[in-house]
Amino acid sequence: MRKSQKTNLDRSTSDTSALAVQNASSATGRRFSPLATAKLKQNLSWSTWAPAVITFVIAAALWQVTAIANPYVIPTIDQVWLSLINDADTYWKNMLVTGLEVLVGASSGIIAGFILAIIMAEFQIMERAIMPLVVVVMVTPIVAIAPALVVAFGFGMTPKFIVTALVVFFPMLVNSLAGLRDVDDRTLDVMKTLHASRWEIFRDLRFTGSMPYVFAGLRIALPLAIVGAAVAEFVAAGQQAGLGSLVTIAAAQANLPVTWASIALLCLMGVILISMLALVRKRVLWWSDGAAVGR
Amino acid sequence: MDTAQPHAGVHIENVSKSFGPDGARTLVLNHVSLSIKMGEFVSVIGPSGCGKSTLLKAVAGLLPVDSGTVMVDGMTVAAATKNKMIGLVPQSPALLPWRTVLDNVRLPMTVNPKANANRNLRDPQEILESFGLGAALDKYPGQLSGGMQQRVAIARAFVFDPSVLLMDEPFSALDEMNRDQQRLGLLDFWQSNRKAVMFVTHSVPEAIMLSDRIVVMGAHPGHIAEIIDVPLPRPRTIDVYATDEFRDLEGHVRSTLREVMGQKSA
Ligand SMILES: Nc1ncnc2c1ncn2[C@@H]1O[C@H](COP(=O)(O)OP(=O)(O)OP(=O)(O)O)[C@@H](O)[C@H]1O
Ligand SMILES: [Mg+2]
Repeated sequence: MRKSQKTNLDRSTSDTSALAVQNASSATGRRFSPLATAKLKQNLSWSTWAPAVITFVIAAALWQVTAIANPYVIPTIDQVWLSLINDADTYWKNMLVTGLEVLVGASSGIIAGFILAIIMAEFQIMERAIMPLVVVVMVTPIVAIAPALVVAFGFGMTPKFIVTALVVFFPMLVNSLAGLRDVDDRTLDVMKTLHASRWEIFRDLRFTGSMPYVFAGLRIALPLAIVGAAVAEFVAAGQQAGLGSLVTIAAAQANLPVTWASIALLCLMGVILISMLALVRKRVLWWSDGAAVGR
Repeated sequence: MDTAQPHAGVHIENVSKSFGPDGARTLVLNHVSLSIKMGEFVSVIGPSGCGKSTLLKAVAGLLPVDSGTVMVDGMTVAAATKNKMIGLVPQSPALLPWRTVLDNVRLPMTVNPKANANRNLRDPQEILESFGLGAALDKYPGQLSGGMQQRVAIARAFVFDPSVLLMDEPFSALDEMNRDQQRLGLLDFWQSNRKAVMFVTHSVPEAIMLSDRIVVMGAHPGHIAEIIDVPLPRPRTIDVYATDEFRDLEGHVRSTLREVMGQKSA
């Protein structure tokens, strides 16, 4: 009798807690759970953003002091700013060129890396066949490959696309492959007892399941894409120029404001890319930030 | 109707299975034979590492056996999985976190659709409602409690009307109070959907509460030590815990387990 009473009591407690969960989430909806709202509030409170802002202010002040004391080493911030304003047109054109290189190079590298990862995940023999070659290419310094590509493809956009795609390709491939492999064994067991085809397992389990890894790969790959584009431009300025070429040319002329303005714009591009990635990640990977899947 | 067929249910005959490289193989299942009739609920209990999960995986077609045969409704396991006749509830709910509860339960219908012909597919929504999850249809697994997630996993295993259900400690991750609720829910549902069930558990009361028969396994190598009938009348409620028959059975199972584990019977 004691036991049955205990159970009844327990049932009622767990029932009410289930109800509480229900009410909480149905009232506020999925994307705006109380937790999310609390998080938003936290993001807006000064203790979240103030430390970073203070660091930036201090860094800028130090920079400015150093620049004034050493006028031939680094420019002052206002010199850089003036150069950006006065030659806005030139900077914008060059930024578009580099942006195009990053866009085309990175997207082809990302797509190629992901597709090859799928092929390798599905057919182990392909991994054995191709992976050694991929590794050999990837340990070759990209700075050394770039001039060779210029010889082969000239000073146009092609070598820049290739260099950018190459640096993006490897982290994408490796991360996607890990993601496609690392699916939950028990879910896989359930699929297998249903006699799911390989295509069905890919469609329903592996593809979405690999996304946490794919986004981890993108986080590494996108900043690298800018490195790749800039390096390619260093080696082969070309008619189209670009921010990387601007850096080399201006540095050779000891034109500090232009050099640093171009560097700042490259940095800005990286920040934009990473922020966009974070936004997309939030939309695609909302399900993974619990303990459920991925890292 | 199904009970009339002589082959209906699960027939495990003389199954042996060992793991490891040639020369250093460890025998995990040693000539195991067991039959589960259509509509019969059989629990498998035994010390950790005795091969319960291995046996269940062999029946699910997830592990090839070294010798012996496993038949499901008179078919080989391979043919049975091809026809989607086996429902699996793994130890963790194993739901897709990016799908709603309803879409998770729909999964077995959309996978291997060729096997959907001529079967009594259930309405996913209806089955979830009967599991008390009517309000959670459009929720995501991450928004549910562990017990609710496990119920979704059970609904997913029932929804495509398999003839055999295999469950590997489905309630082991739940706390004791929650478990009792889940057991009763499962029993309730099974009462009106009598499948052949093989249910692996570590809990003696759970095995008695649910089963028609309890298979006690021993280890090194894994074998069936004793099969204990549970003649408690159905439908069962929590009141059976308090009956003398229940206590006698509990004593019986526990003493067999002690023997199996090589301890002195108290
Ligand atoms: N894939 C495998 N390779 C090698 N050995 C294995 C494999 N799977 C299981 N074993 C071994 O087989 C034995 C039985 O394992 P099994 O998982 O079936 O035990 P179990 O009875 O389910 O235990 P538990 O109650 O802890 O879940 C264990 O000793 C285990 O180490
Ligand atoms: Mg086990």
